[in-house]
Amino acid sequence: MTKWRVMTVDDSAAILTIIAAYLEDSEFDVVAAERDGRSAVERFAEMRPDIVLLDLIMPGQSGVETLSRLLAIDPDAFVVIVSSLGTEEAVHECLTTGAKSFLQKPFTKDDFIVFMRDLTQVA
Amino acid sequence: MGATFFGQYLLSKGVINREALIDAINTQRNQNLNLTALAVRQGYLDKQQEEAILLRYRTSDAKLEDLCLESGLIDKVQLDELVRLQLSDWMRIGAALVAGGHLSCEEVEKHLDVFQEAQRRAEEQIETDFSACREPETVKTVVSLAVIHLGRISDQPMKLQTLSDHACDLAAGRRRYVQRLVGDRELHVVLDLPVEMESVLAEGLVGIPCESGTEVAIDAVCEVVNIIGGNACTQLEACGFKLRPDPPYSTEGNGPINGKGDCVRAEVLVGDAEMDVQVLL
Repeated sequence: MTKWRVMTVDDSAAILTIIAAYLEDSEFDVVAAERDGRSAVERFAEMRPDIVLLDLIMPGQSGVETLSRLLAIDPDAFVVIVSSLGTEEAVHECLTTGAKSFLQKPFTKDDFIVFMRDLTQVA
Repeated sequence: MGATFFGQYLLSKGVINREALIDAINTQRNQNLNLTALAVRQGYLDKQQEEAILLRYRTSDAKLEDLCLESGLIDKVQLDELVRLQLSDWMRIGAALVAGGHLSCEEVEKHLDVFQEAQRRAEEQIETDFSACREPETVKTVVSLAVIHLGRISDQPMKLQTLSDHACDLAAGRRRYVQRLVGDRELHVVLDLPVEMESVLAEGLVGIPCESGTEVAIDAVCEVVNIIGGNACTQLEACGFKLRPDPPYSTEGNGPINGKGDCVRAEVLVGDAEMDVQVLL
């Protein structure tokens, strides 16, 4: 079975570890884990993952700015925002910028896996 | 679940797609007017007077209705008419999704029941009366989320012991975690916890053993604070605040607490460990 290649982007190493653990032994393969937007853009250009899980609140280049840069490289990039901030304003800004979906932290492993599998129906 | 926008909940559950949510939010934004915007439409206020009232609203915990009356520009009869107009016209996200043909009324009601039940269960964990605090709604939101998330992540019983108006300096053997929330006002969420609790929270969050004081443990606790602060911004949006969190950080000094701002301090017991949640207003 071909696995979905996932890149995770979050300034928190804890979140990167959690997501990697949740996706272990699943149909998803975490091929890159980046801790800032700038390096995420570089890695995306090299690796072209199927799905990008992108944090919103990061030092330096913000999640929305990173999202725009990823979409400039590939307008069809499948980017999903994963953030503790889930205001209507933030959700609307991310979706209209081009994010495909939005997941608010915290989340359980079960909810996360269901969310990821739902994504593959439209990715 | 701590604080979630219903539209985001439906999106993350795969009930609606992004196009449906964008459409519904746009419909809401075109339809819904706050009281001062309605007052401008009705000719009771001009734009400058509206902005002055909104500025006060964003920097206080007072209700918009009260500020309208206090301004002396709107009387009680006019206010009652505005409230009636607002209630009759206000479109919620579920109604906007139905209006756009994205969901049926029955589907909205079914998902809303599940969503509200989860929100209610979270709120039931806090029985403390916050009414004597400065800015009770804001403080209750932050402290409640802190108690809910710290209890869930540490898997230990949580108890909110006391609330006071006195900020505290960082005590020996503790580390301070800070997140600034910025937007149309500014506040800080400050968590002081015994260093030995870092390993408990880090292991609870990440699922692997982490030693207190290590970069991994400190990073994990920063993420706990980020969840509290980000969720607080989400919940406070319903009170009219537009806030975003800055990245959180840890410090061995006092950070933003310098005796200049108003501060509410909540002493919290997590298992046997005492910690402080402070909200710098």
